[in-house]
Amino acid sequence: MSALAITFCIVCQFLLVIGQLFLKHAMNGVDLTPRPWRRVIWNFAAGVGALTLWFFLWVGLMQQSALSRIFPFEGLNPALLVLGAWIFLKERLPPAAWVGVLMICVGIGLVTAS
Amino acid sequence: MDAPVDSQLPDRAKAPPSNWFLNPYVQIAIGALLVTASELLLWRGAQAVVQPMGIAKWLGIDALASGWTWLGIITYVLSFICWIYVLRYVPLSIAFPAINIVHVLVPVGSWLFLHDHISPMRWGGIALVLVGILLIVGPVARAEGRL
Repeated sequence: MSALAITFCIVCQFLLVIGQLFLKHAMNGVDLTPRPWRRVIWNFAAGVGALTLWFFLWVGLMQQSALSRIFPFEGLNPALLVLGAWIFLKERLPPAAWVGVLMICVGIGLVTAS
Repeated sequence: MDAPVDSQLPDRAKAPPSNWFLNPYVQIAIGALLVTASELLLWRGAQAVVQPMGIAKWLGIDALASGWTWLGIITYVLSFICWIYVLRYVPLSIAFPAINIVHVLVPVGSWLFLHDHISPMRWGGIALVLVGILLIVGPVARAEGRL
């Protein structure tokens, strides 16, 4: 797998996480009173936009590599997303869960080295 | 650290619908199956078209010429609808690691249906990733019970 393909795989994961954070932010606003529609719509559109970029880059990667080779890169997502949710959504994880994050990173290292 | 508490969480996140089909965790399972189907269909579509050259090869737009890609898009949109519903009820720190069960489903699916070769080392890496995901989901799920 080339360095460029690995870079695009990582960019894909960041786009996916950014999209998910925007979507969650939008859905958190749906049940608030009064409904902040402008904020909900803007966050939803930003989330869909990031996921659209991710989608086409991901399909492009699929044309270059075997699915079982590129898909394990998505193992980065839980680590990036938990970090993002901690920073931007104020969600907190128990300390033991961070061990899980480390295991995910090691697992990805094994997958990409094989 | 405290248990996961999102000050922005709506009340509905603490009281999901009683109908089993509308249970957000059932919707996560349905969404995971749809994403798995979508990934396999999109791969079929990506392989079914002529390989482009230059920068175009990194964008999958030409894959839209394949019917497999459109089937993949339809299943992906369905999974997206499930996901939007889940996000309304479940904190992202719980929902996202949970739906990563696709990391089991997709490699197994590509091995079974697309005949991809997966080396023992790669299987080990995938297993380690999954154990890590379980370590994240387990404590968070228990913490959710205390909310």
